[in-house]
Amino acid sequence: MDILIYGTINSVALALYALGFAMVYGVSRLPNFAHGALYVLSGFITWTMLNSLGLPYIVSIVLTLIITGIIGAMIYQFVLIRVRGMEISEIIASYAIGLAILEGLRWGGFRGVNYTLPAFIAGSTNIAGISVDYQRLLVVAIGAAVVAVLWLFTHYTRIGLALRGMAQDERAAMMLGIDSDLMAVVAMGFGSMLAALAAILLLPLGNVVVEAGYNVLILAIAVCIVGGLGSWMGAVLAAFLIGFAQILTVVYLGAQYQMVVAIFAIILTLILKPSGIFGQQKELEERV
Amino acid sequence: MLEAKGLMVFYENMLALNNVSIKCADNQIVGIFGANSAGKSTLMYTLAGIILDMQKKEAMAGGERITMMGEIRYQGEEISHLKPSLRARKGIILCPERRRIFKESSVIENLRIGGYLASAPQAKKTLAYVFELFPTLKHLQKRIGGFLSGGEQQMLAIGRALMAQPKILLLDEPLLGLSPLMQSNLIHATREICNKMQIAIIVTEQYARPVMPIVDYAFILENGSAVLEGTRQELMDNPDVRSAYFGIEES
Repeated sequence: MDILIYGTINSVALALYALGFAMVYGVSRLPNFAHGALYVLSGFITWTMLNSLGLPYIVSIVLTLIITGIIGAMIYQFVLIRVRGMEISEIIASYAIGLAILEGLRWGGFRGVNYTLPAFIAGSTNIAGISVDYQRLLVVAIGAAVVAVLWLFTHYTRIGLALRGMAQDERAAMMLGIDSDLMAVVAMGFGSMLAALAAILLLPLGNVVVEAGYNVLILAIAVCIVGGLGSWMGAVLAAFLIGFAQILTVVYLGAQYQMVVAIFAIILTLILKPSGIFGQQKELEERV
Repeated sequence: MLEAKGLMVFYENMLALNNVSIKCADNQIVGIFGANSAGKSTLMYTLAGIILDMQKKEAMAGGERITMMGEIRYQGEEISHLKPSLRARKGIILCPERRRIFKESSVIENLRIGGYLASAPQAKKTLAYVFELFPTLKHLQKRIGGFLSGGEQQMLAIGRALMAQPKILLLDEPLLGLSPLMQSNLIHATREICNKMQIAIIVTEQYARPVMPIVDYAFILENGSAVLEGTRQELMDNPDVRSAYFGIEES
C-alpha cells in the first residue's frame, strides 16, 4: 500500500519535472538543458521574495511563475534563437546557461541547509494506515490539474493549437500565419513556468539546493526519452513507469539506487525502442 | 493583385528560377504549368516567403546557400523581405505540395489550427463553408489526419488554407497522385472557391489538361524560365502547348 501511495506521489513529481522539458522539445525541437537550472532558480527566487523581501507566500509564488517564464523566454529570444536547428549547439548553449545559473547561485552564496520553503498546508493525514502529509497530496492534486489544464490548453485555445501545429510541421504552420519564432519563445516561457511550478510544489518537501538542478534535468530527460521525445502524454505515462520503478527500488534495494533507475531507463529505452514507448510519429508509421 | 518581376533564385550555383515574372489579378485563377524541376514549387515558396525560412535554416546549418533576386508586389506593396507569417497575415496563403497536413491531429483540429489568423465568427463561417464544399470532411471530423486517403488529405489541406482567410491562395500541385475523379472534384471546388469567396488563386500542376478549363491566365515554366504565357484560349490554340501539355499531336 505504501508503495502505491508513494509511487503515485513520486510519479506525479516526475511528471511535473518533465512536462516543461517535453513541451519545449515538442514545440521547437529544443532540448532545454537549462531546465533543471530554471527549476532551482525559481526555488531561490521564491525564497528570496519570501524571506528577504517579506512578501506573502502566495504573492511570491505568482511572481516567481511570471519571472521564471520571462527568464525562460528571454533565454530563448536572446541566446538560443541563434543556434536554432543545430541540435549539438542547442544542447551546449542551453547546458552552458544552466551551468552558469546553477554555479552562479552557488557562488552567490545560496548553499547550505537553511534554504527551505514552507509547506502550503502543514500537517499530515492517514490513508489506509499510512501517514501522508498534505503537501504531498497537494502535489498529486495540482499535478493532475496541470495535466488536465495543459490538455485543454493545447486542444481548445488558439495559441495551444498553434503550438501543436508547429510541433508537427513547422513550415506548414508558417504557411498558415503562425510565427514560428514567436511560438518557440512562448513555448519556452510556458516550459519555464512549468519548471517553476514544479519547484514551488516540490521544494517544500526538502531543501532548496543547487545540486537538485542536475538531478531534475536527468530525471526530466529520462522521463521524456522513455515516453518518446515530444510526446506530452507519453511523458506522463513514462513518469508513472519510472516513478514506480524508483519506489520499488528504494523499498527493495536501497535509496542510493534511485538515480540509477532513471539512467538505466534511458539506456534500456535507447537500446530497445529509441523512439520511446509513446513516440507518436513512429507510432503512426508503425500502424500505417 | 500579386505581381512578381524578374525573380531569380539560386540554390548554391544551381539556377532554380531564371528571371520569372508572373502576375495574378483580383478574383482570377492563374495556372502555372511545367514538368518536374521546372521551378514550380520554388516559385510558390518564393511567393509565400517560405524561401526566406529555408535560406535562414540552410545558412545556420552551413548548408546550401540560397540567393534570391527580383521583386514581389502585393496590392502595390513590395513584400519580398517579409517573413512568411507576415505574408500569411496579409492574405497570401500557401497550400503546399504533398499537402503537409498535421498528421497527428484530427480533421477538425487541422482546420482549427488553420484558423489561427481568423476571428471567431470568421472561423465559424469558413468552417461551415469548408464542410459544405467538402462534405466528406464533415463525416471524417474525428479521423486522425495521417489516416486519411490522399484525396481526403488534399481536401483537408485546401480547407485548412481557406480557414486562414486567404485573399490569394497558392495551390502547389493539388492533384498530385490523385484519381481522375478526385482530380475533377478538386478542380471544380477550386473554381467554386474563387467565385464564392472572391479570392485570387494561383495553381501549379504538371499536367495542364485537367486544370486548363478553369484557369483565366497561365504561365508555362521550363527549366526555371517562364517560356510562354497567355490566356486560356491563346495557350489552347498554341500548337507547341497542345503537343507538350495536352498530348494532342497535330498531323
